[in-house]
Amino acid sequence: MTTVLVVDDSKVSRLLSKQYILQRHPDWTIAEAASGEEAIDKVEAVGPDLILLDLNMPGMGGLAAVDQLQAKCPSARITLLTANVQDATREKANALGIGFAAKPITEALIDEILSAFGKQ
Amino acid sequence: MFQLTELQHDALIEIFNLGVGQAAAAMSRIVGDEVTMSVPMISFQSRAEVARTLGSDEGRRICAITQHFQGAFSTEAFLMFPEEKSLEIVRLMVGQSLSLEELSEMEQEAMSEIGNIILNCCMGAFANAAGKELQGSLPTYHVGTGDNILGVSGKEWDGVVLTLKIDFNIERHHIYGYVAFLLDMPALNDLQRYIDAYLAKLMG
Repeated sequence: MTTVLVVDDSKVSRLLSKQYILQRHPDWTIAEAASGEEAIDKVEAVGPDLILLDLNMPGMGGLAAVDQLQAKCPSARITLLTANVQDATREKANALGIGFAAKPITEALIDEILSAFGKQ
Repeated sequence: MFQLTELQHDALIEIFNLGVGQAAAAMSRIVGDEVTMSVPMISFQSRAEVARTLGSDEGRRICAITQHFQGAFSTEAFLMFPEEKSLEIVRLMVGQSLSLEELSEMEQEAMSEIGNIILNCCMGAFANAAGKELQGSLPTYHVGTGDNILGVSGKEWDGVVLTLKIDFNIERHHIYGYVAFLLDMPALNDLQRYIDAYLAKLMG
């Protein structure tokens, strides 16, 4: 059983990610969080294999949450899924050892993320 | 009177074009259809002219998603559509899986996310061109006339405002809209320094 935690303040982004993942893997479990803080609160209970993490959210941003998410769930792969396409953001994701994917969320983008995760 | 040299003007258009190209590609992926973009327009305008640029002479209501960016320079960014088209755009984004009621419920939030993506594409080009990071605020959604929309930024916009504007068109669905970036005088001085840094980087 594979579990994905989708962290995004945008409800429509969570909906699209969930929809595209479940179309490919109906047996997977998708959990959601609308902020970095909520993700940190629930990550241990959810125990995700993959975390899709937005960057620009109210309160704690995605990058600021990475350290705590990794500490609480070291086995989870994290991909930053963001509209911020700046080189500086990609470099920060690289430095943290997490993946980077640029929005918009499309079926092709979810395929790319799952392929990098090794579960397409 | 603030002026850009011909070289600075060309550099600004070149960077803006890069961003617009990325924004068009992103918009096309969102709606699953071809999106055409006009040549970027750069002009210096008064507040009243800017309000007309954002809206229309007839005071037609528009749907706008706005974001403030700051860093090497600051700007107010706007993505605008005719109010009556926004539900159709959201339908193109999420597909046919939602009911009209569900679609209406998430209209504002979905439009905000579209604005977030498109405006970040444009500003990402500026950040990457000169290797200078720009921080964006969370997107906000508004409906109103051009003057209403201009008011939500909280700025007075007295004096000259630089307007960067691009029209886009999703022809098959008869949806048009535009992206605009406004810079006031302090921001213009920063923009000029930003362009000089970009040109210096280009020329090694």
